[in-house]
Amino acid sequence: MKRSIKILAALVLVAVLAAAAFFFLPAGLDEVTASSNQPKGQELIERGRYLATAGDCIACHSVAGGGAYAGGLAFKLPFGTIYSSNITPDKETGIGDWSDAEFVRAMRHGVGKNGEDLYPAFPYTSYALMSTDDMLAVKAYLFSLPAVRAQTAENSLSFPYNQRYLMRAWKLLFLPKETYQAEAKQSEEWNRGAYLVEALGHCGECHTPRNLMYGLDSGKKFAGAVTQGWKAYNITSDKDGGIGNWSVEELTSYLHTGHAEGRGAATGSMAEAIDLSLRHLTEQDIRSMAVYLKTIPPQPTDAAAKVDPNPPLMAASQAYAPAAQETADRSLGLTIFESACASCHAWNGEGQQSPYAALRGSQTVNDPDGTNLVQVILQGSHMTTPQGSAFMPAFADAYSDVEIAALSNYVLGHFGNKKASVTPEDVAAARNPSQ
Amino acid sequence: MQMIDMTVNGELLHLDVPDDMPLLWALRDVAGLTGTKFGCGIAQCGACTVHVDGKPVRSCVMPVGAVGNRPVTTVEGVSETPVGKKVQEAWLDLEVVQCGYCQSGQIMSAAALLGRNPDPDDAAIDAAMAGNVCRCGTYPRIRAAIKQAATA
Repeated sequence: MKRSIKILAALVLVAVLAAAAFFFLPAGLDEVTASSNQPKGQELIERGRYLATAGDCIACHSVAGGGAYAGGLAFKLPFGTIYSSNITPDKETGIGDWSDAEFVRAMRHGVGKNGEDLYPAFPYTSYALMSTDDMLAVKAYLFSLPAVRAQTAENSLSFPYNQRYLMRAWKLLFLPKETYQAEAKQSEEWNRGAYLVEALGHCGECHTPRNLMYGLDSGKKFAGAVTQGWKAYNITSDKDGGIGNWSVEELTSYLHTGHAEGRGAATGSMAEAIDLSLRHLTEQDIRSMAVYLKTIPPQPTDAAAKVDPNPPLMAASQAYAPAAQETADRSLGLTIFESACASCHAWNGEGQQSPYAALRGSQTVNDPDGTNLVQVILQGSHMTTPQGSAFMPAFADAYSDVEIAALSNYVLGHFGNKKASVTPEDVAAARNPSQ
Repeated sequence: MQMIDMTVNGELLHLDVPDDMPLLWALRDVAGLTGTKFGCGIAQCGACTVHVDGKPVRSCVMPVGAVGNRPVTTVEGVSETPVGKKVQEAWLDLEVVQCGYCQSGQIMSAAALLGRNPDPDDAAIDAAMAGNVCRCGTYPRIRAAIKQAATA
C-alpha cells in the first residue's frame, strides 16, 4: 500500500513537472535561412509587399488616423480587449530589433520577441502554413517602411485569459504542425489558390465557426460565422447556402472587385478585405482562390436563407416604382425605402448610379436574420472600385430601431421573398455588437 | 490625363477630369452648368438629379466614368424635351418654387416620371418623388404641378 502511494506520488510529480515544463520552459528559437530562390534587395521588398497585402496585415495592424502598420486596433472579446501591435520597424515600440528567427517564430508558433505566447487574434494558425521564404519577404517589406513610434495599449483580459502560457495548450490543439504542402493530384492553380486562401488570406478566421475553445471548428470549415456583428457567409461548395452555384468567373469578379452581376456587392468586413487586400492581387491569383474555393466540401446552412434570384415582388416592380400590390398598403418599410434607398438601389434590383447598388441575388437581402442587412443600413459601406469609389451612407443616426427593423423586413421581403422578423431589439443589439 | 467625352444637353463636351469625379462636380465646376445643385452629397436629398439616358440619377454619387456614351440632360436642357417643357410651364403656372434650391432636382425627377408614366396617380408620384426633399415643404404644389403637366 505504502509502495503504491509512493508510485502515485512520483507519477503526480512527473506530471506536474511535465506540465510546468510544457507551460513555462522558455520557447526555443530556431535559426532560419532563406532558400536560394529568395530574391534580394528591392525585388524582395516588392515580393514582401505583395504577400503582406495578400495577408491583409494592414487591416488589423492599423487604426483610422494612426500610422500604417502601427497597430492599436482593439479586438473586443467576451473576456476582454486585445490590441494589435505596432509592426513598423520602430526599435522601441515596433519590431525594429526583431531578428529573422524571432519574426518567423511569431508567424509560425505565435511567440513574441521575449518568448511570450501570443493570442490568436493574430492569425498565426493560418500564417504558420506560409513558407519561410514568404515570411522573410514580409519582414523585409515591413522593415522597409517608415518606423512609427506608437506604444501598443495594454490588453485588458480577465483571468484566466490573461495567462499567456495557457496559449501553449491551445496551440497544441489548433496550430498546424507544418507549412502548406502542395497536393500533388491537384493543379498548380488549385494549390496556389489553397495557399492564398488558407495561409495568407486566412479566410477561415472569419468564415469558419469557432468551437468552445475559440479554435476554428475544422469539421465546419468555411460554413459561415458571425464576427463583430457581421456574418461571414458560407463559402463552401454547397449549392443552396454556399457558393456552389457561382461560376469561377463570378467568384473572381466578386473577390477582385467586390461585386458580381446578379450576386450583389460585398459590404462590411468583406468589403474591407477586398479594399485593402484582394483588389490589389493579380487576377490570376484571385482566380486561383476561386478555383480552390469551388472545391471546398459543401456544408449545409439554413435553407431559409437560400438566395431567390427572382423574388415575385421585385420582379413585378419597375426601376422607379414598386409592385402595385405593395403600394396598396404603404408599409413603414416601403415608405423609408422609397425616400432613402430607391434612388440608388431601384425597386427592380438593378443599381441606378452604380452596379454596386444592385440588390438582385445578394445574400444579404436573402438572409432572414438580416444580420448584415441591418449592419450595412446602420454603418453604410465603402469600397474603392475600378469605377471610383462606391459607397452607401450610414443611417444609424437617421432612423430609429423601429424604422430600421421595418425597413429591413421590407427589403428582405421585396428583394429576397423572405418572411423576416427583424425586431427593434435586434437593431438595438446590432448597434453595439459585443463580439 | 485622359479626357472624358460626354454629351450634355445635346452638346459634346471634352472634360479634363478624372473618371472617378462625381458627375455633379464635372457638370458644375468644369462644364459650368450650375443649375444642378449640391445638396447632401450622399444621394439622400435629390437636389443633384439629372437625366442619364432619360433616367433620373443622383449626379453626386455617379462617377463621370460610369456615364459612358449615354446622353446627359440637366435642368438647363430639359425644356428641350416636350415633357420637360410642360413640367417647367406647370411649375411656373402654379408658382411651385419657394427658396428654389431643390427645385432643379424636383423638376428633373418629375420630368423623368412623366416621361415613363404620362398619367401618374398619387402612389406613382410618391414613389418617384420621395427621394427629392424640399425644406420649404412645397410638396402639395409639386404634386399639383405634376398632375397639371400630365394633362397639359
